[in-house]
Amino acid sequence: MTAYIIRRLFAVIPVMAVVALFVFFLLRFAPGDPAAIIAGDDATSEAIAAVRAKLGLDRPVVEQFAVWVWGLAHGDLGVSIFSNLAVTRLIAQRLEPTLALTLSTLFVAVALAIPLGVLAAWKARKLVDRLAMGFAVLGFAMPVFVLAYVLIYFFAVRWQLLPVQGYVPIAEGLWPFAQSLILPSVALGVTYMALIARITRASMLEVLQQDYIRTANAKGLATDRVLLLHALKNAAVPIVTVIGIGIALLISGVVITETVFNIPGLGRLTVDAVLKRDYPIVQGLILVFAAVKVVVNLLIDISYAFLDPRIRY
Amino acid sequence: MSGNPGAILEVRDLATQFDTLDGVVRAVDGVSFDLERGETLGIVGESGCGKSVTALSILRLIPPETGRIAAGSIRFEGEELTTLSEEAMKRLRGHRISMIFQEPMTSLNPVLTVGTQIAENVVRHMGVSKKAARERAREMLDLVRIADSKRRLDEYPHQLSGGMRQRVMIAMALSCDPQVLIADEPTTALDVTIQAQILDLMLDLKEKTGTAIVLITHDLGVVAETSRRVVVMYAGRKVEEAPVEALFDNPLHPYTRGLMRAIPRLDVDAEEGGRRPRLQEIPGMVPLLTRPIVGCAFAARCSLATERCRAEPPPVVDAGGGHTVACWEVTP
Repeated sequence: MTAYIIRRLFAVIPVMAVVALFVFFLLRFAPGDPAAIIAGDDATSEAIAAVRAKLGLDRPVVEQFAVWVWGLAHGDLGVSIFSNLAVTRLIAQRLEPTLALTLSTLFVAVALAIPLGVLAAWKARKLVDRLAMGFAVLGFAMPVFVLAYVLIYFFAVRWQLLPVQGYVPIAEGLWPFAQSLILPSVALGVTYMALIARITRASMLEVLQQDYIRTANAKGLATDRVLLLHALKNAAVPIVTVIGIGIALLISGVVITETVFNIPGLGRLTVDAVLKRDYPIVQGLILVFAAVKVVVNLLIDISYAFLDPRIRY
Repeated sequence: MSGNPGAILEVRDLATQFDTLDGVVRAVDGVSFDLERGETLGIVGESGCGKSVTALSILRLIPPETGRIAAGSIRFEGEELTTLSEEAMKRLRGHRISMIFQEPMTSLNPVLTVGTQIAENVVRHMGVSKKAARERAREMLDLVRIADSKRRLDEYPHQLSGGMRQRVMIAMALSCDPQVLIADEPTTALDVTIQAQILDLMLDLKEKTGTAIVLITHDLGVVAETSRRVVVMYAGRKVEEAPVEALFDNPLHPYTRGLMRAIPRLDVDAEEGGRRPRLQEIPGMVPLLTRPIVGCAFAARCSLATERCRAEPPPVVDAGGGHTVACWEVTP
């Protein structure tokens, strides 16, 4: 197992190298010029060229790439073109809200989806199943921003139970922090809830047909033990896989939610940086997202071995 | 009600039906038998004759979405099981009536250890601590002759061979000292040598614990070695019931006779050139169970069948000594 983890961690290096290569060159070949944005709308071409020279953007692309990679190898993601702040620092500042939102969304989604999916599979083709899956489809079909505004209207504006928007860092108190996260995580979580609930139902339905479930019933075990231990543990591998895919999707979903709820996280940073063509920030963010994705995949693969003793690395 | 004081389990006119796209399947259609305390009763018949459904019906494990016990009575120690609440059934299953299944490869949960799977049964029904249940599980593994039982407790089913898994199933089924063990083709999926070991083990444990066994099989050889009495089933019905010697010495029902002729025998003299007589198969096919069978279920394949056989259900003829047969044409 340890050898497997080490091997997988080494495999991260080529993946990140390919990501770095692609993100760098795609950005350079994309239209838009940060120098023109900085110089202003009515700047002369000489002025723009001067800004470009100052930023080092006039050098050959390959040379720029070499400089960036050299920095990366030393843990330096570069400096923002506009604010002149270190990209690592900018990302670190925005990490907490995004991390908090992602984890609380995941919590909302999983905590609703698994009971819903198990219930639907247990009562398959009955009314409870139809209602649960109808709810899931509705959740899946509902765009995040629509649901977000509906939630804001009722819970924040009408009943004034929760803040309309904004983010309170955890350092300023647990309750205000949690309050600021409830609406965004529900809005974002409902989509993933639907996805996970449907997979849970499908996977459970298959497992409930198995001979060992009949054995468990022939032992007279309580229904909750049959469902939650005997069946759910066997059904877990596809569910965990989808949760992992969900984490990857969440990172992109966060961009919209952070905008709607005005949360200063990585999503907002990404949108702003892309609009301004702040190359170092965009490059840094995409590398971070890719790294998260790779690590999550690794964690999921490791979790398989804990869920199913037949899987050995 | 019926009164067989020696019987621990009395099945009367059991009918179990399933809904399918082709209509209602009468998988079990009026089966009756008694199981006496501590005895081994064999139920034989070919695939699809309703033996497994009979077993599942006794434990009320027929999937409620598609099937149901449509009629009849199942009495366990005088208590009617067909109308018992689901909660009461759950207390009975695995405790007073246990069951082992045909497929040891798929009947154990692949993600739980052997120890957990045996011990949970004990915790559930005996109300003991997890630790005591684990100790009981280890004892049971010793009892079914699994070596190194302490280590085996923490192993998963995939680490065991087919024979070992069936031993684990037996250990699990007997862990709460049931009065009745229903074994549905317990040796069918195993190698012949392992089959003999498992049957020996079951009979040996039966002697020790006094558990009555319903042994369901398609293998007349298994019945001959293990059972005291035999019920022969065909197309969801009981066609013959007899003590095992009587059945083999003097099979009465044309279907039972057909089965006997289909068994290879070593005691029949070879013909000239060293060839043995060709085994005789039963002509025709098992009838569809989606349509009610008016007369005798075997009539369509029976060489003795008359118009009456096709028109009216056969009477149960008592041949004496506990030997009964459902047939118009047999005179004992």
